[in-house]
Amino acid sequence: MRSLPSLRGPRAPPLPLLLLCLLAPVRRSSEDGRTPAAPFTSLPVREEMMAKYSNLSLESHNISLTEHSNMPVEKNITLERPSNIELTCQFMTSGDLNSVNVTWKKGDKLLENNYLINATGSILYTQYMFTIVNSEQMGSYSCFFEEKKEQRGTFNFKVPELHEKKKPLITYVGDSVVLMCKCQGCFPLNWTWYSSNGSVQVPVGVPMNNKYVINGKNANETRLKIMQLSEEDQGSYWCHAIFQLGESEEHIELVVLSYWVPLKAFLAIAAEVVLLVAIILLCEMYTQKKKKHSDDGKEFEQIEQLKSDDSNGIENNAPRHRKNESVGQ
Amino acid sequence: MALRAEPPDGGWGWMVVLSAFFQSALVFGVLRSFGVFFVEFVAAFEEPAARVSWIASIGIAVQQFGSPVGSALSTKFGPRPVVMAGGILAALGMLLAAFATSLTHLYLSIGLLSGSGWALTFTPTLACLSRYFSRRRSLATGLALTGVGLSSFAFAPLFQWLLSQYAWRGALLLVSSLSLHLVACGALLRPLSLAEDPVVGGPGAQLANLLHHGPFLRYTVALTLINTGYFIPYVHLVAHLRDLDWDPLPAAFLLSAAAISDPVGRVASGWLGDAVPGPVARLLMLWTTMTGVILALYPVAQAPTALVALTVAYGFTSGALTPVAFSVLPELVGTGKIYCGLGLVQMVESIGGLLGAPLSGYLRDVTGTYTASFVVAGAFLLAGSGVLITLPHFFCFSAPTSKPQDPVTEALDAKVPLPREGLGED
Repeated sequence: MRSLPSLRGPRAPPLPLLLLCLLAPVRRSSEDGRTPAAPFTSLPVREEMMAKYSNLSLESHNISLTEHSNMPVEKNITLERPSNIELTCQFMTSGDLNSVNVTWKKGDKLLENNYLINATGSILYTQYMFTIVNSEQMGSYSCFFEEKKEQRGTFNFKVPELHEKKKPLITYVGDSVVLMCKCQGCFPLNWTWYSSNGSVQVPVGVPMNNKYVINGKNANETRLKIMQLSEEDQGSYWCHAIFQLGESEEHIELVVLSYWVPLKAFLAIAAEVVLLVAIILLCEMYTQKKKKHSDDGKEFEQIEQLKSDDSNGIENNAPRHRKNESVGQ
Repeated sequence: MALRAEPPDGGWGWMVVLSAFFQSALVFGVLRSFGVFFVEFVAAFEEPAARVSWIASIGIAVQQFGSPVGSALSTKFGPRPVVMAGGILAALGMLLAAFATSLTHLYLSIGLLSGSGWALTFTPTLACLSRYFSRRRSLATGLALTGVGLSSFAFAPLFQWLLSQYAWRGALLLVSSLSLHLVACGALLRPLSLAEDPVVGGPGAQLANLLHHGPFLRYTVALTLINTGYFIPYVHLVAHLRDLDWDPLPAAFLLSAAAISDPVGRVASGWLGDAVPGPVARLLMLWTTMTGVILALYPVAQAPTALVALTVAYGFTSGALTPVAFSVLPELVGTGKIYCGLGLVQMVESIGGLLGAPLSGYLRDVTGTYTASFVVAGAFLLAGSGVLITLPHFFCFSAPTSKPQDPVTEALDAKVPLPREGLGED
């Protein structure tokens, strides 16, 4: 059996490997602390490359797999600026470590070099180190352990996402509105705005005139102020946050209504109120009139009664007059 | 229209209850749900929250301090024209607010204009209600006041929906059209002439008379004390729960539980107030004392079940004290002076209401928890109920008449000519 560092690994030339065995420097262990520092040694070629980018920060990420993992394990990583990357996969199996085939891929493309393999006890470690400086290097990086079944761990690199906007903005003709995009805890290099009717995005506000004003209070937010709104301004607006490593965008829907829309509803309800008031007052007048009629009716009867009394009985002018007065009030 | 000797206690009175129900919904329901607009105003005018909350404060202050004006006008002209005018003012305020371009516009339109409109509607309506009922006065008042609680339920989601469809300008337009219904409610307030009306005179004479009326003044003091403590849980309960590490959603549910037990308490207390013989002031004292004790127990309760029980009980008792609070007044001053009396009471007790919440907040800032605030609120309520004991006939067991016992009014009898109020409304 060959010595450890070259367990089914890539076809690296034997000389550097010998150097590896002989030199065996202690490598920087900067893992999560959960795993013991894998005693990896570094290739001199890579060390040179690392020196070039030594002013960049280092991102380390780790995935653990076992032979029984049913689903591929994924880790999402948000990256805002160029960094050195260190990805480690560890694989636990009860079987023979030497019979495991280890590969790394970016997307579907097989990666040839720059990765290391080590085994301690029953755990197999592999580590891939590289640098991300532009947007083409972003994407998905996967480590594969092939025994009887293939186990896979994936690291997904993405630029920071802008948080999801909720509901459409409602505005009125002639009003002005401020569309705002904000990035939580990240600082884009630049912001741009587009509007779209359909699928084509058209830049907005680039010649700043008195219709569009773009500004932002801090680096992590941008505001597009649209003045003198008209119904043509209705539609979808997109803000793009530009990072060194890519772009992310957010969608805002703008609705422009004319004042007539709520005004119609207002007038309808006001008319209904006027109708109600009229009905109530008319009902009251009607019941009062009825009461008056019945009162008049009673008064008429009383007069008749008195007349008949009068004609039948004693002449009594004074009381009758008084009675009439009090009834007719 | 002939002068009636006694309030009708039914008949058209139930329509007045209906009108009062919708009015309390449209005045206080709108006020309580206005918080929904708050967020929109902060964003639209880019002003800090403290300045935006002045809108509601001005509205409430104008509504309460303007109550005597509403009452005086209703004494002179009857409740109907006053309430209808108030409805138009309130709607106009909201209408103008829809076109506002600065926060000051909102202070003037919603705060001042709508506030004056509300001042002209609520107090005259409740006073009118007290004139229509005597035996079932508390029940009628309790039923009418349930409008407040139920509308808070309905209006908050409604306003939210309006905002999502029309943004705040359109939503204000539609709330204005909603407030126009106050005019229709005002139309329902058929004027009623009672036997004592010719005796008590015009508003000026009534006001002067009331200010010399011992029991009335004591009652006003009692209500002011009660009002100081009354609102504190509504304002600070959620914050207190958050201090105890409650999540926002369960805390909101707890407030809803109180909002449900509140109208139940109002109706139950209203029924009880009419069923039990003797001065209603005793029931008021009972409910006030219970509310005070509950508030004082709040700091002691830590377990969730205890807090839930306390809050439901608080909702019930605090709701229960409202209808009887309004029913005590006619017993004290008589239905003839009810408009002016109610207006004065509302104005003075509003001082308590305005002071209560900031005082409680101040105590919280100084002591670090809401313990002191709740205890002080309970103390105010207990003090108020203590003052109630000094009201006349408190320890009697016979039913009181609704005529005033004051020798001063009998002297007025001889001096005042027949005013226009009783006859001018045919």
